[in-house]
Amino acid sequence: MEELTRSLAWFRPELALVLGLVAVVVVDSVGPASRNLAMRLLTLGALAAALGFALELQAEGANAALFSGMLVVDPLGAAFKLVLIAAGLLTMLAFSFRNSRELHGLGQGELFALVLALVLSCLLLAASNDIVMLYLALEMVSLTSYVMVAYLKGDRMSNEASLKYVLFGAASTGTMLYGLSLLYGLSGTTSLPGIQEYLAGGIPDGNRFAVYAVTLLVLAGFGFKIAAVPFHFWCPDVYQGAATPVTALLSVLPKAAGLAITMRFFYGALSVPEAGAWDLMGSIHWPALLMLVSVLTMTIGNVAALTQTNMKRLLAYSSIAHAGFLLMGVVALSENGARGLLVYLAAYLVMNLGAFLVVTLVHLHDGSFDLRDYPGLHRRAPLLTLAMAFFLLSLVGIPPFVGFLAKLYVFAAVIEKGMGLYATIGAINVAISAYYYFKVLKVMTIDPGNEDKPPLPLALADRAWLVAFALANLVPLLFWDRIEGWARGALVLYAGR
Amino acid sequence: MIGLQHYLVVAAALFSLGVLGLLTRRNAVHVLMSIELILNSANVNLVAFSRYAAGNLGGQVFAVFVIVVAAAEVAVALAIVLTLYRLRRTPNLDDADILKG
Amino acid sequence: MTGEAAVFWIFASLTVASAAVVVLSRTLIYSAFALLVTFFGVAGLYVLLGADFLAATQLLIYVGGILVLLLFGVMLTHRIYDLELRTETTQIASGLIVAAGLFVILIAVGLKTEWPGVVRPPAPTTTEIGRLFLGDYLLPFEAASVLLLVALMGAAMIVRRRTDA
Repeated sequence: MEELTRSLAWFRPELALVLGLVAVVVVDSVGPASRNLAMRLLTLGALAAALGFALELQAEGANAALFSGMLVVDPLGAAFKLVLIAAGLLTMLAFSFRNSRELHGLGQGELFALVLALVLSCLLLAASNDIVMLYLALEMVSLTSYVMVAYLKGDRMSNEASLKYVLFGAASTGTMLYGLSLLYGLSGTTSLPGIQEYLAGGIPDGNRFAVYAVTLLVLAGFGFKIAAVPFHFWCPDVYQGAATPVTALLSVLPKAAGLAITMRFFYGALSVPEAGAWDLMGSIHWPALLMLVSVLTMTIGNVAALTQTNMKRLLAYSSIAHAGFLLMGVVALSENGARGLLVYLAAYLVMNLGAFLVVTLVHLHDGSFDLRDYPGLHRRAPLLTLAMAFFLLSLVGIPPFVGFLAKLYVFAAVIEKGMGLYATIGAINVAISAYYYFKVLKVMTIDPGNEDKPPLPLALADRAWLVAFALANLVPLLFWDRIEGWARGALVLYAGR
Repeated sequence: MIGLQHYLVVAAALFSLGVLGLLTRRNAVHVLMSIELILNSANVNLVAFSRYAAGNLGGQVFAVFVIVVAAAEVAVALAIVLTLYRLRRTPNLDDADILKG
Repeated sequence: MTGEAAVFWIFASLTVASAAVVVLSRTLIYSAFALLVTFFGVAGLYVLLGADFLAATQLLIYVGGILVLLLFGVMLTHRIYDLELRTETTQIASGLIVAAGLFVILIAVGLKTEWPGVVRPPAPTTTEIGRLFLGDYLLPFEAASVLLLVALMGAAMIVRRRTDA
């Protein structure tokens, strides 16, 4: 019982979200016709409260296992929670049923509840310390995502995309489950620290094969969540088929949570903490495997994006490529790597949300997601084009934008570990990605066309959010040392039961 | 004497058959059934390990959660299949564009 | 051959054979009923492994819930009087190679590895599972309720005909 009350004290962000979820469901069922505003406020309130609690948690520097070792709160986890909740909150604030043409006329209550459930599941996934909790949280994130993508149920392409998502996802997580079952058999326990103990104790040669098999199988589930090759096939169709605010959410939240658990799993179960870093237990060299995945992911993502004309698909492939870069942080197997991952995720959040906001607004007023309809936007919506320029340059990784900071961190972490070739391939990929990001910018600014179209009547709230995201991409570089301090302070992974 | 290995072979067979169905089937409901085979194979593993290798009930508890998740997944998947059927107005759910690429 | 061994072979072959029918049959209905037999077979294996609670759960939920839902899905998306219900298979050769390869690898993993031999003699499991659900595994147990809420809401919302604001 004391375990329970002690754990609940650390569980405040999640509790806020659960209460919000229940409240939204109740209001949606029994509320009057004007309940949409109430539900939106409830959702925003729950997310804000969760953010507040998460900030408190980080300040308190908690480092403990909760609920009999199911979850873990540690400084790194607290930092991830901040990024996850902030992503949910920012998306809910910047996107709404008003400024997304795709969502017009659809029932609102379910989406609000689903957003809260998604953020909650992502928090649980990022903090999982046990393979049962891991599997359940992963499936919670997946199921919530499937339903959110299927929201546009009147649209055939949307339905096909969500069906593809469900089948692909269920197959990947089923494969991962098989791997987890083998891991349970090998170690006799479901807790990650227990598994680490077992592996650190030295595994007989005959078992090494099994551990390799487990790693590959488990990678199926993680790879699917972060859309890494070869488990990325669902990504472009799903991003295109879902309503753009949903796509924006899915591009950040499941990916970040998936990366957090990938890091926790590989650092926490398949590695041993050494002084200030981590070490492999002499048996399986999983960073090599992840490096291969990372290289394939960034390259295939970037190359496929080169020929896209649909903005949502382009951003989908861009997302896939960024997952490749993000994995660099995991491959580095060091404190700097973990720090790089965290900073990159925070940067990725503002870059990606900004880009999706621009795409949503253009669709709201012009009704098109096609890049070929984008010429002339510099004249019709100068603020929007300027903001998009910021986002695109940040996505490439050009100073002084925050995307540059992010890439710097992960590249430094990788180079520090002596993986020069890996870093070189990464640099080549940055160059490849520059081509299509600049192409978008060029189409918006230089290309002739659409001279007869009127300026875009952007609402004040939309303008404000464009400015906010644009500044978020630019300003952090001024506070470099603050960010450094935040990321450095976050670098403690809970090591223990 | 029936031991752990026997059950592991059965599970491996179920998993492989499930993957075969996954790769060769084009109808969404068939693919869903193959996925159920995969989930059951993992469950057999878990319960067998619980009995012969781990000596605790963690595997069985895990298996119960897997069943719960499977039920939820099937419900959502079939809801989407049904909606798709209504939209396409055809009973033929074999879909090259869904499952390719 | 002991009684236990005989029962095992019966259930194991039943399970695997029906799984093969699920995957290879051209007709959805045959596959669905073969899946029913597979689920029964797995439940039988659970009983052999001493997992009484799990066997009952398997029958109740997999057979009584999931399979029924699948049958509904099959029936509602095909014209019954068609009786065709045939579906296509593609690229059987490469699929077979991959599946066979996987089978070999997994068998190797299963047989080569030295599994810890901590045995749990068969005993009623329900009480202990209940204690675990409300003890060590409390959080997943409660989180599962959110999962089910999302699935319930989601499935209902997706299938509902009217789109109202």
